[in-house]
Amino acid sequence: MIEEPYRWVEAIANRREYIEHQLAGGSPITALTYRDGILLFTLGRERQKIFEIYDRIGLGGIGHPGDIERLRMAAIEVTSTEGFARSAQDVSLRRLANYSLSPALKAAFEQVYGPPYLARMLFAELGRNGAPNLFLRLDYDGSIHTNGGAFGRAHEEFGVIAGTAAATAQMERFLREKQSAHRPLEDALAMAADAWAVGHLALSGEPGDALPSSEKVATHRSEQLAATSIEAAVLEAGSLIPMTWRMLSDSEIRPLLEKRLS
Amino acid sequence: MDLLTLRADGLTAPEAGDFSALLRQRGHYPQTQAGAAFSAAAPPAALLQTHATTILAFKYADGVLVAGDRRATAGNVLVYDRADKVLEIDQHSLMAIAGVPATAWEMARVLEHSFQFYRRSQLAEMSLEGKVRALSKLLRDNLGAVLQGIGVVVPIFATYDHTASTARLYFYDAMGAQFEAADSAATGSGSPAVRSVLHYENTWGKKPLAKLKEPDAVVLALRALDTAAESDTATGGVDRRGRIYPIVKLITKSGITTLAEKQLARMFKTQVA
Repeated sequence: MIEEPYRWVEAIANRREYIEHQLAGGSPITALTYRDGILLFTLGRERQKIFEIYDRIGLGGIGHPGDIERLRMAAIEVTSTEGFARSAQDVSLRRLANYSLSPALKAAFEQVYGPPYLARMLFAELGRNGAPNLFLRLDYDGSIHTNGGAFGRAHEEFGVIAGTAAATAQMERFLREKQSAHRPLEDALAMAADAWAVGHLALSGEPGDALPSSEKVATHRSEQLAATSIEAAVLEAGSLIPMTWRMLSDSEIRPLLEKRLS
Repeated sequence: MDLLTLRADGLTAPEAGDFSALLRQRGHYPQTQAGAAFSAAAPPAALLQTHATTILAFKYADGVLVAGDRRATAGNVLVYDRADKVLEIDQHSLMAIAGVPATAWEMARVLEHSFQFYRRSQLAEMSLEGKVRALSKLLRDNLGAVLQGIGVVVPIFATYDHTASTARLYFYDAMGAQFEAADSAATGSGSPAVRSVLHYENTWGKKPLAKLKEPDAVVLALRALDTAAESDTATGGVDRRGRIYPIVKLITKSGITTLAEKQLARMFKTQVA
């Protein structure tokens, strides 16, 4: 199958198509900066999708639960070992993604006889001492997309993942128009819920470049909020201990959201 | 890069969430290194174990108080007068150490990371019993160094049990046996004096220890440490000029409080000195 380069390229393309198809139903996940830190948000159905990795790093993942689990454990092991052997200050998302996870994902993806990882992950890292927050999307092929300023694109205060590239692009466009790092938690929750609705509409709906109307987003959001449970967590910059992670419970979020959306 | 292939055999891996096993696998486990380095050495050295320090802990009305002096010694030399021997392991647990600082601090580090690693990887807090056992295992792994007479650690572990809504206090021997203390525990070279003071107060004092309010408990701890420093050269007293006071920490339902230097200074002036 891979004696000829062409066959290899074809095999990789097939594999990409297969994985994209598997991921396409994934519930969108949003991470964004708010006044007191970072909020990670999604609407869940059965299993947990948002996880703590280290003191200042959180993860949201879509894909096969087994693969997410292996990658999550690898990330926790790498950061914990580093934090123990050196110091918690030396643990960095940039190094975790670039040097540990990305090469391993790429290798698994391109070795066409072995299984690839069916996973798309969104990492968020709380900046230290006023440094900007880092949002990093890591895909099944090891490719990395961050919120850092790039050609023709300013630094952004959010990161998203969704089942399809189109849904991801829609969510990014939606959030880009409404960026603000200073909003309180309830505003950030409302923003994340709206972004989720935009992404979810794009997954199920009509292709097109235009964002859905705000009424349509609001309707879809309320329908889905009523039917699912909310999964969210924060990385709090003002934490008095090194650990900044806090899971938010559904019952803690709903009143905040309702207050903001009513 | 077998970072991820290592995880593929998840079913055959050691216990899930075991940070010590991970450290061993990566060659970072401190106790094995010490054990390997000294296992080939000649017969065990004479057990010259002084555990030069004084640590005390007792339960009071709101929870448990843990206090320790600040002196670190090597033989008759005073090495350091600002040592912190009462270490925070997580938001509700303290480990207080008597013994070889290098080993003890490394143990505290392993313990702290173990609890965090367990919580992050298993998505649940480690049980109280699990935490108590984890320290026991570390001590047992350190046995080689203990037999060589170079790495003895005799810790106290204090924590808050949220299921029973009560503070818990444990002390260990150097081989890892754990004992739950009913009201108080002390370790280190100054501990005989401290144990006497605490026993006296608990039995014939105005109130049993468990009924003491926070200020009285703190004063008692300071007085007991002062008593130990009176007869034990390895226990540091108060250095007012250098403003060095003992470390006093309290574990209550809401977490750990460290008493501020100013507060201790005031208490010393009015009620101890």
